[in-house]
Amino acid sequence: MFVTDFRRDFYDVIQTERVLLFVASDVDALCACKILQALFQCDHVQYTLVPVPGWQELETSFLEHKDQFHYFILINCGANVDLLDILQPEEDRIFFICDTHRPVNVVNVYNDTQIKLLIKQDDDLEVPAYDDIFRDDEEEDEEDEEQSGSESEGSEPSGKRTRREEDVIERTLKRRQRREWEARRKEILFDYEQYEYHGTSSAMVMFDLAWVMSKDLNDMLWWAIVGLTDQWIQDKITQMKYVTDIGILQRHVSRHNHRNEDEENSLSIDCTRIAFEYDLRLALYQHWSLYDSLCNTCYTASRLRLWSVQGQKRLQEFLADMGLPLKQVKQKFQAMDVSLKENLREILEESANKFGMKDMRVQTFSIHFGFKNKFLASDVVFATTSLLENIEKDASGTDNFIRALDSLSRSNLEQLYQGLELAKKQLRAIHQTVASCICTNLVISQGPFLYCYLMEVPGPPSSLGQDTLAPPHGRDVLTPPQGWDTLASSRGQEALLAPTPASSLLRARQTSSCSPSRPPWACSASTCCSPLFVRPRTSAVSCCP
Amino acid sequence: MDSAEVEFLAEKEMVTIIPNFSLDKIYLIGGDLGPFNPGLPVQVPLWLAMNLKQRQKCRVVPPEWMDVEKLEEIRDQERKEETFTPMPSPYYMELTKLLLNHASDNIPKADEIRTLIKDMWDTRIAKLRVSADSFVKQQEAHAKLDNLTLMEINTTGAFLTEALNHMYKLRTNLHPAESAQSQDF
Repeated sequence: MFVTDFRRDFYDVIQTERVLLFVASDVDALCACKILQALFQCDHVQYTLVPVPGWQELETSFLEHKDQFHYFILINCGANVDLLDILQPEEDRIFFICDTHRPVNVVNVYNDTQIKLLIKQDDDLEVPAYDDIFRDDEEEDEEDEEQSGSESEGSEPSGKRTRREEDVIERTLKRRQRREWEARRKEILFDYEQYEYHGTSSAMVMFDLAWVMSKDLNDMLWWAIVGLTDQWIQDKITQMKYVTDIGILQRHVSRHNHRNEDEENSLSIDCTRIAFEYDLRLALYQHWSLYDSLCNTCYTASRLRLWSVQGQKRLQEFLADMGLPLKQVKQKFQAMDVSLKENLREILEESANKFGMKDMRVQTFSIHFGFKNKFLASDVVFATTSLLENIEKDASGTDNFIRALDSLSRSNLEQLYQGLELAKKQLRAIHQTVASCICTNLVISQGPFLYCYLMEVPGPPSSLGQDTLAPPHGRDVLTPPQGWDTLASSRGQEALLAPTPASSLLRARQTSSCSPSRPPWACSASTCCSPLFVRPRTSAVSCCP
Repeated sequence: MDSAEVEFLAEKEMVTIIPNFSLDKIYLIGGDLGPFNPGLPVQVPLWLAMNLKQRQKCRVVPPEWMDVEKLEEIRDQERKEETFTPMPSPYYMELTKLLLNHASDNIPKADEIRTLIKDMWDTRIAKLRVSADSFVKQQEAHAKLDNLTLMEINTTGAFLTEALNHMYKLRTNLHPAESAQSQDF
């Protein structure tokens, strides 16, 4: 069932209990976890944190811990399956689920006792009505009919036949109704569960909870912003929803950061300040050189077709159009001439419009603390994602999770900078792979599907090593925004916005993986099937083992 | 003594906070605290104030001496005098550090206050060094310094006493005592 009053029905219930936190491995879940941890620390709530990258881990951890806890909180996992069926818990265990995966499984919605969904109801859920799906005890009526039929046999032989006929007619009618109802039910459920999509970010939901309790801080607001930006970068939500949610967060930002910096009320330079920015869409451009950033951002790389020689020429034209000298553009952004940096955003937007990139600027936020630390929300998302997926140096999954979680705190700046370096490596590797795939025609089209085989050794043997692409996310991130635009431009089909999700298995080091794509009509629901916590279902999307 | 111990002692100082929860009077070994009512200022020891602030349960009111003009006056006076001037609080360094680290959003002009306190500290430590230097050079037997805080004493104390011990040993070895007996073979 849906929790209406988060504070009363969720937080006050667990405040005095020990809880077990299951957190999925994506940045949105990490941010929600951070906010919840901060709230727990304020109120001294005992909790155990278990990272769960997939269904297997969820089940094993649950089996390990189920005897010690009565209350379980699941973040970004568990809403889209029949949880009680999979986990088989005791009767008195209660699950709080805060998940962005939609559609929410109907069993979870209509279970009143054990499953509580921390999901806002205005989130366009379109859950089918209870009566359309569940029917109580129809069989018993039929049995009673039959029994009364057989009892009345001995009493009135004359009226027996008519009553028998009536009974039979009634029963067939009921059966027909039941069959119709079941057919309708199947249709409704099919429509409901046909497409997968994502709802409001869990980090924003948790921030809302903190706000309701008046315990929201600027730091928590920043985590909510990062969670939302992660959803947008991974293409889990539509542009419209992103803009709406940014509007909501903007209100909070102005509430927290409205202090005018005048003589009397100046805030210490160490306090976090969040500001609204209408900034460029280039990945990590302030921590990299502008040239590198243009080459390695999915958006620009695919629009300018930078995998081809012509594309490189277009890039030079683009830079020349803006009047930026090549030497300046290739050095670190912070070292660029101030005169060039001043109007960079406007100039870039103008030139980008001429080259077919209409959405060069995006609404986002930046955080600023200390004298030299300024980050955009997307920077933090890329850094944290790369830390999560880091497979160098025998780091285990849990270590990566903890490191990524730490990097979100203000006090662990070195982790964040490490993450930024890793993110740069990752972006470069992704683009090299995509370029080589397209150039060597590895992308095969078969009817409405586009396939691409990624071997263990992708692209040119770079000094980055092949490791950077082996993690599952490497392929995740590789395909959705990439696959769309690059394939669209390479095939010259404007209508083809086929997302190509990588449904690689969750274990790293596969020998090969296949990236099937959805048929074009599926993308109108702006779906992007993320392999994590995908409902196992028998769909037409094939995956070669 | 460790600097951490000195800070621990400093945490007993009372500061004013404005809580946002309510609680009856609590009876601790060191004294009674409370009662706490939302919106009403109450005096608590620094350790409790820091704990409550980190749990977002209160707002800290800066002590009255933590003000830019007052601190500027004290700093200027410190620079003028040759001896040590009395400080606004015997634990001014620790208080400033803890309050500015955890509650800087409640203290106006926190950066300037930090600079002023650092200036005062530097001046006083410089004076201490000069005084220790002249003490050793003139081989005085004892000295008296007023208005030193525990943190400053602790900073120089360990080194100074060790150094003086060594110097004493070296000096006594230069002039062996008359009553010392030498060994006969």
